[in-house]
Amino acid sequence: MPTINLRGAQKNYGVNSANAVSNLDLEIRDGEFMCLLGPSGCGKTTTLRMIAGLENLSGGEIRIGDRVVDSIFEGVFVPPEKREMGLVFQSYALWPHLTIERNTDFGLRLRKLPKAEREARVEKVMQALDIAKYRDRYPSQLSGGQQQRVALARMLAVNPGVLLLDEPLSNLDARLRLEMRAELKRLHKEFKTTIVFVTHDQWEAMTLATTIAVMNEGTLQQMGTPNDIYDRPANRFVAEFVGSPPINILSFDKKGTSDVAKEAEAYLSSRYPSLRGIGSVGIRPEALSYATRKEDVPQGNFSGKMVVTGILPTGGSWILELKSDSHTLFLTTHALPRLELGEKVRFFAPPEALHVFDKDGQRIAEADKLLRSAKLN
Amino acid sequence: MAFLSDSAKASPTAGGEASAPSAWQVWRYRLKVASREPTTLIGVLTALLFTYLIVVPIISIVLDAVRVQFGHERRLGKDFGDLTLYYLDRTFTSPVSVDLFWRPLFNTLSVAVGAILLSLLIGTILAWLISRTDMFGRRWFATALIVPYMLPAWTFALAWTTLFKNRTVGGQPGWFEALGWTPPDWVAYGRFPITIILALHYTPFVILLFGSALRRFDSQLEDSARILGAKRYQVAMQIILPLMRPALMSSMILIFAKCLGEFGVPYVLGLPVKFEVLSTSLFRSIASRQTGVAGVVAASIMLIGIITLMIDARLVREARRFVTIGSKGSMNRQSRLGKLRLPATGFAATIFMLSVGLPLLTLFLSTVMKLPAQFTLDNFTLDYWIGQDLHTVALQTGVLLSPDLWAAAKNTLMIVGLASIASGILGLLVGYVVIRTPVRALSVYLRQVTFLPYLVPGIAFAAAYLSLFAVPRGPMPALYGTVTILVLALMADQMPYASRAGISAMTQLGKDPEEAAQIAGAGWFRRMMSIVIPIQKGSLVTGVLLPFISGIKGLSLFVILAVPSTDVLTTYSLRLVDYHYTQAANAVVLIIAAIAYLGTLAAQKLTKTNLAEGLGS
Ligand SMILES: Nc1ncnc2c1ncn2[C@@H]1O[C@H](COP(=O)(O)OP(=O)(O)OP(=O)(O)O)[C@@H](O)[C@H]1O
Ligand SMILES: [Mg+2]
Repeated sequence: MPTINLRGAQKNYGVNSANAVSNLDLEIRDGEFMCLLGPSGCGKTTTLRMIAGLENLSGGEIRIGDRVVDSIFEGVFVPPEKREMGLVFQSYALWPHLTIERNTDFGLRLRKLPKAEREARVEKVMQALDIAKYRDRYPSQLSGGQQQRVALARMLAVNPGVLLLDEPLSNLDARLRLEMRAELKRLHKEFKTTIVFVTHDQWEAMTLATTIAVMNEGTLQQMGTPNDIYDRPANRFVAEFVGSPPINILSFDKKGTSDVAKEAEAYLSSRYPSLRGIGSVGIRPEALSYATRKEDVPQGNFSGKMVVTGILPTGGSWILELKSDSHTLFLTTHALPRLELGEKVRFFAPPEALHVFDKDGQRIAEADKLLRSAKLN
Repeated sequence: MAFLSDSAKASPTAGGEASAPSAWQVWRYRLKVASREPTTLIGVLTALLFTYLIVVPIISIVLDAVRVQFGHERRLGKDFGDLTLYYLDRTFTSPVSVDLFWRPLFNTLSVAVGAILLSLLIGTILAWLISRTDMFGRRWFATALIVPYMLPAWTFALAWTTLFKNRTVGGQPGWFEALGWTPPDWVAYGRFPITIILALHYTPFVILLFGSALRRFDSQLEDSARILGAKRYQVAMQIILPLMRPALMSSMILIFAKCLGEFGVPYVLGLPVKFEVLSTSLFRSIASRQTGVAGVVAASIMLIGIITLMIDARLVREARRFVTIGSKGSMNRQSRLGKLRLPATGFAATIFMLSVGLPLLTLFLSTVMKLPAQFTLDNFTLDYWIGQDLHTVALQTGVLLSPDLWAAAKNTLMIVGLASIASGILGLLVGYVVIRTPVRALSVYLRQVTFLPYLVPGIAFAAAYLSLFAVPRGPMPALYGTVTILVLALMADQMPYASRAGISAMTQLGKDPEEAAQIAGAGWFRRMMSIVIPIQKGSLVTGVLLPFISGIKGLSLFVILAVPSTDVLTTYSLRLVDYHYTQAANAVVLIIAAIAYLGTLAAQKLTKTNLAEGLGS
């Protein structure tokens, strides 16, 4: 399947409502495993439906390779049944009057495959998804998770060039979810299927995706590899949305300023006087370390004094809650912390672990260069 | 074409750069989206069809009212078709206006008000007994007391004449006369019996609507008043009644609207004493070819009907506000009747006997007895059903052996059957288009136009059909006297129910199953055949069955539009009444009643719903 290209795609459901998706540029290359990530209502489902052709555009255009499939400018609209994509609905959308087997079979029948081949393929996916034993049941007789697998099987059976998945694993239990993830990944490798995958679950996105697109309120916030998204979030929204426990934000604006933020401000302005217009600084909990003695803090690191107010084990790692007079920081450590509650510690972080955002919340790219070069010095 | 090249230039190859599409581009795109599937095309076609079948006839009859009709050119000194106020004047202000309009109007109103009061009185008591007390056999009564509504109203009119008929009309004497008591005219005919019969026939409305409001009513509201020291009757007057008012008003108005269009009962019971209501006056005008006056009367009936139902729509909206008060945590406790338990049950049983048992029994007995009210063994006979070589002028066999009955039955099945199948399918299609079309205006128009006949009493609608299709117009030949006009009129008349059923079925279905099929590669036709119709099979069956039942017992449409060759069961029995073949007429009515009753039961079984839900809406 050639590259799918959304340019300035826009969707507005009603004359008076806000855009569900606005001015979205998205490129989905052949063989890519793309995750759409974002909070509820940010337009992920709408984006998928636009790609599939179930929603027509309010602006912009969609191309598949060189072929325009949807464009107001050119007056083109290719209906969903001609786009040859697979879509697994958030609500499953199984056909209530057909048995599981017939549900799975439907697309193959439409493609007029010979009976023997049809049966073989249906059998194979049903086995793979562990639903063969329900073949003669009707959808209403299955649990949510089983229905979800049928919805998946129905699409996999026809082996489409692009598979659009709208939170396909949300209703499965932990074990099945893990299996299905592996299955999807295998599928992706084996068939070179292009996959666009919607999820709430950032961990899922991180482990599965080759590319992640983070959305908020109908606009694309950042698109990049999982590492990009995590290590170089393009703005505060992405920084705060991705990562758990969430990134520590030190806000410099007048109202939100805390003692730790002031220290950070002093630290940055003394060392990097050329940096201006900083709105906030983010530090991921796992980029923070702590020391009980001042001598243990490495030279040139940003550090400060705080009190331990919480030690939360999370299985293999610990989250420390540190408090100063007006700020709380979270810190993740993988070594058993030998600390008492109420004990004074110093936290510290190397300069390259600081994410610097301007007053509008955009990442200051220049700062990255400066802070990283500091390490080399 | 300069247009096109302009837009081609404007269209940036880089797609959706900030430049917004021009209005023309947006319009072209929308057209493209809308025309890619037959949905919109079907919508436009059905919209045209129903404009022709529903809107045009109504306009036609209103125009009849203000234009010179055939045969009046000389007298009015104008050409055929010119505008005139003559018919309005004649109907509303001339000396004959009293006979044509005002007295029938007064009679209609007085009968309706009488029927409303009586049915409210009986209905509220029964509803309360059924839903809030420990009366014996509540469940059984809950169904049994609804039966009168399943039967055609004039079944009761025929039963009444069978009992109370006096020498004013010919044919067999009534039972009371045969027993030696001659009922006076006011008992036998006219306002009194019509009012009673309509009241009994429409009491089920009150039982259903008021009953369901009572069931939703929160007993805690009652309790708090009692705790504050209110007496029983104070609670009833100050708490329960005000909260029940929307349901009461709603049933009153529905009964009024039904009475307005009721034809059979006043025809059977009013004619002998020249007691006319609007519907019979309209019938007389049509029968005497007073097309202009008929137009005025029909339009007046429509107007009253429309106003009434608009009031109802408004009340329903207000009622919704009420319902929220008591619906959450609603508690429904039964009152103990104590010593009154037996009398209360007796009351319900009496009403059942009066409104179902007695009429049906009378009708049945009348068909197996040679002389009225003579209960000796040799007086009983099956001749009227299956006899041969009877010594009568016409109809020399029992009714079951009469070819006329079977012809009428065949006509009924064909006409009503065709119309119901058509309206069922069209209803589903309309539902589909209304829910699916991207063209909002089309969706709104279709929904409203198919609802229009609901506001127009059947008899006026039939008159409208007559006005439009009696003469050839354009490519359309004159349809009067054909089966086609009956099928079309019946179908259009049933569209409100059919389209509502279709819309609600499609709403429930949602668009997911169809979209999934679309993704799987199924085109429109394929989706219709393997997804939409199979899933909607049940509602399609109901959408056919319900119009069928109401068509079988319907009279007012047929009485205007049918001719002897297109007789259906209802008009056939009315004809028998006119010829004073009482037994045969009663037998035919019993057959109709049986079909209607069994059909309703079947529909309830099939849809697993209670009649209660389908009625109020
Ligand atoms: N058919 C519709 N009509 C009107 N508004 C809609 C419709 N579908 C979605 N929206 C609105 O568009 C916005 C985006 O919705 P969308 O379903 O794409 O969100 P989402 O990212 O998939 O959310 P979730 O994670 O909860 O599934 C929401 O604000 C929603 O209310
Ligand atoms: Mg969604």
